[in-house]
Amino acid sequence: MNADPPVRADGTVVRVDGLTVAAPDGRPLLENGRLDLRAGRVSALTGPSGSGKTTLLRAVVGVLPPGARRTAGTVDVCGRDPFALADAELRALRRHRLAYVGQDPGSGLNPRMTVRRLLTEVAVERGPEAVVALLDEVRLPAGGDLAGRRPGALSGGQQRRVALARALARRPAVLLLDEPTAGLDPRLRDEIGELLRRLAERHRIAVALSCHDADLVARLADDVVELRPRTGAGPRHVPRPFPQPRSVPARAADGPPLLAADGLTASFVRRGHRIPVLHGVGLAVPAGGSLGVVGASGSGKTTLMRAVVGLHRATGGTVTLDGIPLPATAARRTREQRRRVQLIPQNPLGTLNPSRTVGSALRRPLVLHGRVPRARRDGRVRDLLEQVGLPAEFAARYPHQLSGGQRQRASVARALAADPDVLVCDEVTSALDAETAEAVMDLLAGLRARRNLALVLVSHDLRLIADRTDTLLVLSDGHAAEHGPTARLFARPAHPATAALLGRAASAE
Amino acid sequence: MTPPTSVTPPTAARLRSALPALFLVLLAAAGPWLSPHPVDVPVTAPYAGAGGGAPLGGDQLGRDVLSRLLAGGRELVASSLAVAALVTATAAVLGTVAALRPRAGRVVDRAADVLMLLPPVLGLLLVALSWPAGGRLAPALAAYVLGVPYAVRLVAAAAAPVVASGYVEAAVTGGERLGHLVVREVLPNLRATVLALFGLRFVAAVYVVATAGFLQVGPRPPAADWALMIRENAGGILLNPWAVLAPSLAIGLLAMSVNLAAAALGGV
Repeated sequence: MNADPPVRADGTVVRVDGLTVAAPDGRPLLENGRLDLRAGRVSALTGPSGSGKTTLLRAVVGVLPPGARRTAGTVDVCGRDPFALADAELRALRRHRLAYVGQDPGSGLNPRMTVRRLLTEVAVERGPEAVVALLDEVRLPAGGDLAGRRPGALSGGQQRRVALARALARRPAVLLLDEPTAGLDPRLRDEIGELLRRLAERHRIAVALSCHDADLVARLADDVVELRPRTGAGPRHVPRPFPQPRSVPARAADGPPLLAADGLTASFVRRGHRIPVLHGVGLAVPAGGSLGVVGASGSGKTTLMRAVVGLHRATGGTVTLDGIPLPATAARRTREQRRRVQLIPQNPLGTLNPSRTVGSALRRPLVLHGRVPRARRDGRVRDLLEQVGLPAEFAARYPHQLSGGQRQRASVARALAADPDVLVCDEVTSALDAETAEAVMDLLAGLRARRNLALVLVSHDLRLIADRTDTLLVLSDGHAAEHGPTARLFARPAHPATAALLGRAASAE
Repeated sequence: MTPPTSVTPPTAARLRSALPALFLVLLAAAGPWLSPHPVDVPVTAPYAGAGGGAPLGGDQLGRDVLSRLLAGGRELVASSLAVAALVTATAAVLGTVAALRPRAGRVVDRAADVLMLLPPVLGLLLVALSWPAGGRLAPALAAYVLGVPYAVRLVAAAAAPVVASGYVEAAVTGGERLGHLVVREVLPNLRATVLALFGLRFVAAVYVVATAGFLQVGPRPPAADWALMIRENAGGILLNPWAVLAPSLAIGLLAMSVNLAAAALGGV
């Protein structure tokens, strides 16, 4: 084993060549994958969702999806083949040389461990100063009680950064990141980007990341590896473009509010203490209108959305639909009330039932609400799949056979199957490539124009917010910092929090 | 990131692991027709060793041990399987409802706590003595009542993380009623837990039913019954050990093979 030098003369630490991975049923998950990682360089993997980015990254760690096999090609990590190593050696390689941060990093964190223990468990240096330094490196406040919290008390963006800090703690030679910036606000995204650059240069780490964000890739990556969609998967499916124009006339935007919330307060209970996360936040969106919700990571956006749909019991305030107050929990709302307000949740990985096919998940709302006659249900399922750009044969697949982006699209299709009047989207495009994201947003814009669908968009993607929303709500530490027409807030932000998000100075208005 | 899971064994291999249990259950069911001698007529000397017409020797009255062994399993196995299935089904539904509806869950938990305080033998005697006409049904009822509280707590704990998952939340906001949530969303994802629970509850049911036989509150002599055989022949264990060992081994093997089968079928 020691015959091979760990690092080649040209600094190549990882070389994957012609790697083909097949699922148990023979379907290829990755065809002819290639990847060269060199110390001190950042490589970006791009390609449409389902093209095998995750499979390729995980193959470097020696993990394939359950039942999948390598049918061709070589993987060489620090001079070794992770698929041929004995267990102990593979463990040592993963422990000391490799660090992998998955697509949904929160689920990779043990929910019973505090942030401090999560970091020191794998760290080379374990002192309290080392923890502070690590948190500081990923721009998490080390001063507060954050190190003593468990993952459940962190926001999605904070979990992502803790997972990154945990990966850095072991001082790896190779850092593999699957969609490291999905769902982070632009400033944070740029900071993480800079951090990765700095790590690559200063510590001579070979960094590989899969990314949908063309901007970030252009600025950050030394090498770009573009994965083509698999030949076995048939032609590339791009969502059917909608005939409607992209800019929806903002006609209905000033009608009476269809969905409104007033003075919502909510809190988390941790060790018997109530920690408030929302302080009297209100929102309103008329039929056919579109409301954007922005705010730094941890500002309470997701909690606000969950309180609106009744998944998080608000401790105060009201949510009204057509002026009629809705009960605080979804279980107490009528079926019709629940149908009319649909949520597309933030994490696409856990949102589909693993024991049911995509087709059965999409068919269920059709059956439940009886809005599509029995004979037309199969056709409607195919339509829905096509609208979000998934081939019709995906109806027979189980969620674990789908990539993250494909699952997110299936979850969009399921929400649309209920034929809602209000669609609440929590980071709906975070796992989608630019082309698909655009098509999904066009689909929603078309529904706004034709069906008077009201949209609530939570996103870190300011371009998306600027293009697709009429009004904007800015959250800051659980308070509504500012509220008004999107165009005005973008042009003349009055509150410092808005200005900080936009990267501008607040106007003295 | 999904944790690396073990590779699913092929269906044929999983079914092979279920074969011993199937064989034993079928043998116990068909046993009474296979026994070479009548179960209540002496064919040899009391506690006679193996040999002649009795391959496993004779019992306290000289009846054929092999015949009584073949004849004595059917009802024990049938009532234990029925109890295990009922306990598991009740617990699966109650436990999942408890996880989905925290308020109902607290009531279920406290009720289970109280029932768990009842010692099994005391519960068994209470039921059997207050319902003398119950026969075989009395120990089965006792096994059911004693088994449900443990099983409910286990299912409720296993269901808690599933209930918090994104797809159950999506179903709740999609307008699903409680019944659908329990049967279609949560339980299919608890298949391995529920099957393992079935195996454990089967062993526990055998334990209660066999105890009833041993205490003679269920089957009465001269009926053939494995538990009864152990008690009747304990006095002659040195003269013909098979009269006690054979029914003990039968109970042990049955419990083991049913658990093996449950684990294999649940290993998804």
